[in-house]
Amino acid sequence: MAGIYIHIPFCKQACSYCDFYFLTRGELKQPFVDALIEEIRHYGNHPISDETIDTIYIGGGTPSLLTPKQLKSIFTALETVFTVKPVEVTLEMNPDDVTEEFLLKIQDLGVDRASMGVQSFDEKLLQFMHRAHDPIEAVDALKLLQKANFPSYTADLIYGNPGQTMEMLGKDIDRLLTFDPPHISAYSLTIEPKTRLGKQVELGRIDPVDDDVVADQFDFLYQKLSSAGVEQYEVSNFAKPGKEAVHNSNYWRHKNYLGLGPSAHSLYWPDADNAQRWKNRSNLKSYLEQDWDGVREDEESLSLSEMAEERLMLGLRTKWGVSKKQLAERYGYTINNKQEEWLKKQQEQGQFTSVDDAIILSKTGLRIADYLIFELISRRL
Amino acid sequence: MTQIRNFCIIAHIDHGKSTLADRLLERTGTITEREMQEQVLDDMDLERERGITIKSHAIRMKYKRPSGEEVIFNLIDTPGHVDFAYEVSRALKACEGALLIVDAAQGIEAQTISNLYQAIEQDLEIIPVLNKIDLPGADVEGVGQQIVDMIGCEHSDILHVSGKTGDGVEELLEEIVEKVPAPKQEVDKPLKALIFDSIFNTYRGSIAYVRVMQGTLKKGDNILFMASDKEYDAEEIGYLELKKKPCEVLKAGDVGYVIGSVKSLQDARVGDTITHQKDGADEPIPGYKESKPMVFSGIFPTESEDFEDLRSALEKLQLNDASLSYQPETSKALGFGFRAGFLGLLHMEIVQERLDREFNIDIITTVPNVQYEVETDFKGEKKRVQVENPSEMPDAGMVETVWEPYIKASIITPADYIGPVMKLCQNRRGIYLNQIFMQGNRVDITYELPMAEVVFDFYDKLKSGTRGYASLDYEFIEYRKGDLVRLDILLNGDPVDALSSITHRDNAYEHGRKVCAKLKELIPQQQYEVAIQAAIGSRVIARDTIRALRKDVTAKCYGGDVSRKRKLIEKQKEGKKRMKQVGTVEIPQEAFLAVLSMDDND
Repeated sequence: MAGIYIHIPFCKQACSYCDFYFLTRGELKQPFVDALIEEIRHYGNHPISDETIDTIYIGGGTPSLLTPKQLKSIFTALETVFTVKPVEVTLEMNPDDVTEEFLLKIQDLGVDRASMGVQSFDEKLLQFMHRAHDPIEAVDALKLLQKANFPSYTADLIYGNPGQTMEMLGKDIDRLLTFDPPHISAYSLTIEPKTRLGKQVELGRIDPVDDDVVADQFDFLYQKLSSAGVEQYEVSNFAKPGKEAVHNSNYWRHKNYLGLGPSAHSLYWPDADNAQRWKNRSNLKSYLEQDWDGVREDEESLSLSEMAEERLMLGLRTKWGVSKKQLAERYGYTINNKQEEWLKKQQEQGQFTSVDDAIILSKTGLRIADYLIFELISRRL
Repeated sequence: MTQIRNFCIIAHIDHGKSTLADRLLERTGTITEREMQEQVLDDMDLERERGITIKSHAIRMKYKRPSGEEVIFNLIDTPGHVDFAYEVSRALKACEGALLIVDAAQGIEAQTISNLYQAIEQDLEIIPVLNKIDLPGADVEGVGQQIVDMIGCEHSDILHVSGKTGDGVEELLEEIVEKVPAPKQEVDKPLKALIFDSIFNTYRGSIAYVRVMQGTLKKGDNILFMASDKEYDAEEIGYLELKKKPCEVLKAGDVGYVIGSVKSLQDARVGDTITHQKDGADEPIPGYKESKPMVFSGIFPTESEDFEDLRSALEKLQLNDASLSYQPETSKALGFGFRAGFLGLLHMEIVQERLDREFNIDIITTVPNVQYEVETDFKGEKKRVQVENPSEMPDAGMVETVWEPYIKASIITPADYIGPVMKLCQNRRGIYLNQIFMQGNRVDITYELPMAEVVFDFYDKLKSGTRGYASLDYEFIEYRKGDLVRLDILLNGDPVDALSSITHRDNAYEHGRKVCAKLKELIPQQQYEVAIQAAIGSRVIARDTIRALRKDVTAKCYGGDVSRKRKLIEKQKEGKKRMKQVGTVEIPQEAFLAVLSMDDND
């Protein structure tokens, strides 16, 4: 089983916080779709095509900027080249693109999970983020989603924005909860250096929000969503029982995935000591030349111990944690005495809920997960 | 017998010593233009970068006079920094004459004066040279008058030279022959060869640079190093041309090198005398001193497994640098390392940089300090001890009296900067002695200062306060009583020995506050709150708190984020190696360094 991720590198405008690869000019959409179909065909010769594809995730960029026809040609290509038996097909979309008709058409193509980039319902915050939609469009889009009756859908929120008070966050959450969404992704704002926001912070025009404030918002968010029955299953992901994202969760479990389109990453791990990661260049122009080996870069071959550390780094972010048995069997990685001792101590202090069969971080532990994961890993150095 | 002239150059940094020396090498055909690397004599990377001479060098030239007569020149290049006064004195001892080179645009500097007086004391013939006369700012009259005032010569005795254009170099060469006395060529007396420098070579051992003062040294002779009382054979001797040129005999008056598989680093020390084992000299050449370190600092390997490497690196450095001393030290915070003694701050920096560059060892150094004398009274039992490590300072309750070394500092600065210079000296507990106005709107200001106040970034402050114009020279005068206290730094109640310092009571509060603030900035947030305290004895005088880490987690971690995140962890692992655990707190090594570079204005 493997997943496929497709990166659609087009947006109407640049959001101030976003450092994904995209272009704001759309004239190359069709050439891109043509090239993408060629890339899909190219991977028909790769051993990953022997695996059944169970999840497809179309992200970006803004996939909803493609026409249903263009999307259809992509799905057709996928089905021609791969054995596709999907349990989840997600498509990201922005509120300003969504129409009833669009939703119906993508459902026809097999999309069974919509991911809506809401981010906030606050007009000022949306402007600050330089989003293309306003609060009314966000509400309308969610209404349409509800009506379309997807088996599951998710909405994105961003918190920890400069100027965002706890009250403002509360309003955003309450507003979203009125739609009773099966899944919510809530990200604390990350200031990336090569973004408009990053530049402004660098110039001192905007002060990043204090970590303590973000920590409080993190706790608040968890409380509110949890009492609405939407449970945290990963640092930034919340779902009603059974509605957890399959494709994304598979990243954290080291399932294979093939990334298509510019800037997309892939993992192919066929046997014990031969895990490969690579990515496509973040450059549409070179992508359109369709030299598929030339498009690949940053190819890495990872050892089992590197993969084990990755597994901890990824798995401990989730409510399932990492099972020691699996670490030993799949990764040949046994938690040593120093680590065990440290884990016990941390558990007593409430950072882990379980350290025996599976290592699982507590809610408070999750808030400093990067720190704890590194401390755990480094106790082996 | 061939004529010989042995001379050195006295000059301030930047006054064009090396360029002029290069010109001499060129004119005497010692080096062709093609071989010319800028500033041939400063061959250590560090020297070339800093534009200063750290070690003494020597080079032999054959000068053909216009008359056709051939004269051997031995130019001995001397270090140009106050830390190396002893090395300078040994290099001067090896010469009969000195070129006093003064930048015609800048005038005489403090260091030049002190070296000049040493040369006059040793009866060297001084040839005054005004350099850089081609510069538009050259003040030939005024600076010439400074020289006249200083050495009591006539204006007409001063040579006008440009190392850059080569003007006046011919006259200078002739002047050297005419004025510098020929060495006494007492070849039949018992051998006395003065070591004015020694360098270490991995394959050949210590190579001594010598001036034969009397007698004759032949290849293969059995030799004795008089001060270290070690015996070796002179396996190879030779002249110091651009490369070493072996020869059979070095006679009185010659300058050359001696190689004798001198393995032990301490055996061929600067200032020692080489003689023959049989029928040797009765007395060594006077003036040999065991160099006395003035500044001390802890040196610890960043990674504890590098301890042995650090030890062997220090051993090797000591071969080249007999003035470096060290002994093992154990710090609770930093583990096993060494407490090293240096001639001064520059010397300390040089050693630290060489450990890094030549031996590739990552080290942590602690705040430099001087040596104190402390009288303790423990239940009526009085004792006087020397303290060269702040953490060895007895507890406040036991200390009766502390003495600290004082220096007399001479600072020459353009008169415009008298204010900043005096302010700096006052801030450093200086005692004003006098100021003498010199020709050319310059002032020689004299202060007595506690040496401890000078070892800590005084020179940098002096330079920045005077736009680089001031020059400093100093000499140790005596130990004086001072109201000094040990300031400890505690992290969550655990003292960090490597951060302890000895400071004047009046400055303790301010210093403690700054260290706490700096540490707060440098120590990363940890899982628990960290209290930083500065204390004298049990009394806390300053504190700061590093809040507990409350949020540290990446928001997004999907397929495209994994590699980046893993690389971040790899980087963190590198950083972790540089962390030192003190009690419950992890301190990055930068914290130990940053306390060094703490600014007064922070």
